Amino acid sequence: MSTHQLTLTVNGEQHHLQVDAQRSLLDLLREELGLTGTKKGCNAGDCGACTVLMDGAPVNACLVLAVQTGGREITTIEGIASGDKLHPLQEAFIEHGAAQCGFCTPGVIMNSIALLRETRQPTRAEIQEALSGNLCRCTGYFQIIDAIAAVAASGEPV
Amino acid sequence: MAIGSIVGKGVARVDARGKVTGQTKYAGDMRLPNMHHGKLVFSPHPRARVLAIDCSAAVAMAGVKRVITARDLTGSGRYGYDVAHRPVLVAEGEETRYIGDVVAMVVAVSEELASRAAQAVVVRYEVLPPLTSPRQAMAEGAYLVHADAPGNRCCKREFSHGDVVAGFARSEVVVEHTYKTPRQEQAFLETESGVAYQDEAGVVHVLSSLQDPYGVAEDIHLALAIPKSRIHIKGTPVGGGFGGKLNTTIQVHLAAMACLAGVPVMLVLDREESFIFHAKRHPTEIRLKLGAKRDGTILAMEGEVISDAGPYSGRSPEVVGLTMSALLGPYRIANVATRAQGIYTNNLDSGAFRGFGAPQAAIAREGLLDKLARELGLEPLELRRRNFLQPDSRPASPMLGDSPVSLEALAEKIIARMGPKPEPAVGSSKRIGRSICFDMPVFDVGAIPTLGKSGVGATVEVHSDGGVSVYAGGTELGQGITTVLAQFAADQFGLPMEAIRVEMSDNWTCPRAGRTSASRLTFGLGNALLLAIEAVRQTLLTRAATTLGIAREELRFVAGQVQSCSAPERAIAFAELAQLCWDKGDNLREEGWFRAAEDRYMYGHTFMAAGADVAVDLATGEIEVLKLANVLDMGKVLNPVMAYGQIYGGAVQALGYALMENMVTKDGLAKTPSFAEYAIPTAVDIPFEFVAEGIETPYPTGPFGAKGIGEAALNCTTPTLLNAIADAIGVELDAIPVAQEHILAAIHQQKRI
Repeated sequence: MSTHQLTLTVNGEQHHLQVDAQRSLLDLLREELGLTGTKKGCNAGDCGACTVLMDGAPVNACLVLAVQTGGREITTIEGIASGDKLHPLQEAFIEHGAAQCGFCTPGVIMNSIALLRETRQPTRAEIQEALSGNLCRCTGYFQIIDAIAAVAASGEPV
Repeated sequence: MAIGSIVGKGVARVDARGKVTGQTKYAGDMRLPNMHHGKLVFSPHPRARVLAIDCSAAVAMAGVKRVITARDLTGSGRYGYDVAHRPVLVAEGEETRYIGDVVAMVVAVSEELASRAAQAVVVRYEVLPPLTSPRQAMAEGAYLVHADAPGNRCCKREFSHGDVVAGFARSEVVVEHTYKTPRQEQAFLETESGVAYQDEAGVVHVLSSLQDPYGVAEDIHLALAIPKSRIHIKGTPVGGGFGGKLNTTIQVHLAAMACLAGVPVMLVLDREESFIFHAKRHPTEIRLKLGAKRDGTILAMEGEVISDAGPYSGRSPEVVGLTMSALLGPYRIANVATRAQGIYTNNLDSGAFRGFGAPQAAIAREGLLDKLARELGLEPLELRRRNFLQPDSRPASPMLGDSPVSLEALAEKIIARMGPKPEPAVGSSKRIGRSICFDMPVFDVGAIPTLGKSGVGATVEVHSDGGVSVYAGGTELGQGITTVLAQFAADQFGLPMEAIRVEMSDNWTCPRAGRTSASRLTFGLGNALLLAIEAVRQTLLTRAATTLGIAREELRFVAGQVQSCSAPERAIAFAELAQLCWDKGDNLREEGWFRAAEDRYMYGHTFMAAGADVAVDLATGEIEVLKLANVLDMGKVLNPVMAYGQIYGGAVQALGYALMENMVTKDGLAKTPSFAEYAIPTAVDIPFEFVAEGIETPYPTGPFGAKGIGEAALNCTTPTLLNAIADAIGVELDAIPVAQEHILAAIHQQKRI
């Protein structure tokens, strides 16, 4: 199995790594960098629990090979708060009860950031559409949509 | 801060910050020094005799620490709730019973290597024909899945009340129908996960995603002959359970691997392994018959339930028993004869799933009530109301609850919330249907005295700095119990939420609290905690009374102080009082123990109403859920944000059950073991209008009057959707899931009602 030199930026920090050609971005984050906030729910691109931002766009980290991320900028759930100050979506998820078991939450929040950066005032239908690749078995999605809609309405930068 | 100021408020979950920041450590996120990885070798055949297991190639691989087969195990090698007949590993010479049976396991330095080594284990099988339906398994001469279960009968429950023959004889209208429900998968996002290691004292520590640390300890003891004093089970934050992690999943395997390999071992099932491994909602066939007078008074019910129990007993006797009991619903039925059987097969395993057998019963009961209403020419809602349990009537059920009946109040509320029925656009091919259904989901304290499993304990400790620790052995599955218990402690001690730390799901640090199921924790564990808190409060009050020179009865806990009710300026800070007690040697750690009376089950009922408006396009078969409303009598809404979250989530699981979910097996093999094949509702599938609401009829035995609601959020929502669809298209429906193609087929066959 071949290994590759890789330089990428994760949550603003540059990393130089030796990675296996088969390694997924998800395993790289979880196993090499200790960023276990990004979850493995299916490892097949079906559930969205591993959603991270790559150069600002949401991707399923399980479907991206680590070697494809050279020179890219990755943002994970660990990289969106500013010190002790949570990201507005994190605050809203707490307030609206949008996290129950919490396993899908990091992926849903990352996808929501991408949505709100793209569409500042989405309709509820647009929020639903944007979330359709993120499975949640606890909440029935309703309070998640509430939380995202509240941040959209607040006008706070995301 | 007055009593009750935190209880009833939608305060933030105590575990929310960790979850939204990704800091919460689930079992699969743990990393221990020298941690190795495990992999299970599953049988590819639902039924086969294991002839030989050759591990030599796997053992020879560099980095493989240990390969384990049945002969390596000490102890009985068997475990299981109800009957301990499930093999940890199927031995050479034995038969497999389903494709979730494990024949070997591998411990290696990496997950990847463990997988490759598992593939290198060569197992020779004699493939045998499986039993793939209860009917086939019940047939004369069928092979026995378990030699000691004649007729492949896993369990049988019967109930009779009154005189059912006379009841039908007096009936002017009799309806009968058979309903079929599929196997529903819990589809929790976090697969079965855990880490185990054995320490220098011989103690086995298992840190794992589970719903019952005490049951897991029992199974490890049974299977591996490890003394109970040397088994430590710590439940990790659970990424969804819904019953699928109620029985022991991978924990016996984990413990065996850790002990035999002598290193810490992590095991995380992949998605397909998870979907085949754990027990799911029973596929069930229910024949139901109702007899009534012309005025709608129901006189008799007869029912027969046959459930596919899968290969092992587990929760089947309890679940199938509840399917039978729940057939009666919240209605007065004087004459009843019902029977239920769980039948062993070589299909995927069946067990607990939110609702615990009652959702299947609700589909049959509420479906047949609509049929009866049509026969009688009555509005379906009117028929139900004429047969509601009355506040002074008890159900003719083996499950005698003691909750005040509030069905009329629920009916009023759901009618108001549903509003006028919408009309389709003129010329549209869409038809709109409506249904309103009722249920009385059960919650309990697990009080089954004959099994010695009654009683729930909780401990509270006030530290010398005024902080509070709660030790409660229930498990946080996302339902919010940690937050509810913190609310209780904050309320009773007059402290802010931040002062309370709740430690859960640990058989060493927490008093025995049993399983997290049956919507029982708020009720059972909450009551136990209140008893513990009260004992500590009395000690604090005694010390405060002496110190302040005020009678105990004059004192209250409020705003971080113990103060005089009449002269609030006469007070002592809570932290100061705690330190004082510490200095004087007072005991500020107490255990509360809540249990049922010796001679009966302890149950309550959470009455519920569900309403649905659906639009069905007769041209395409497309179903749109325009509106879904669930109203529950929760006794007391302890935290509205979390309570409504339970209702929304439960309702969408019920929607999935109604419209799309079916874990299909063919010849005992799973045909839909991925999220691509087993579809669950996504954000675009939820109702356009979604109402969750609670009413509050205080439950005298409940903490602050509250009842359990976790399962109540789901029970009769599926038949409500089904009946609404039937109402829209004018075709009787008797099986789920109902998808677009079923609608078109049903319309095509013109089984008009």
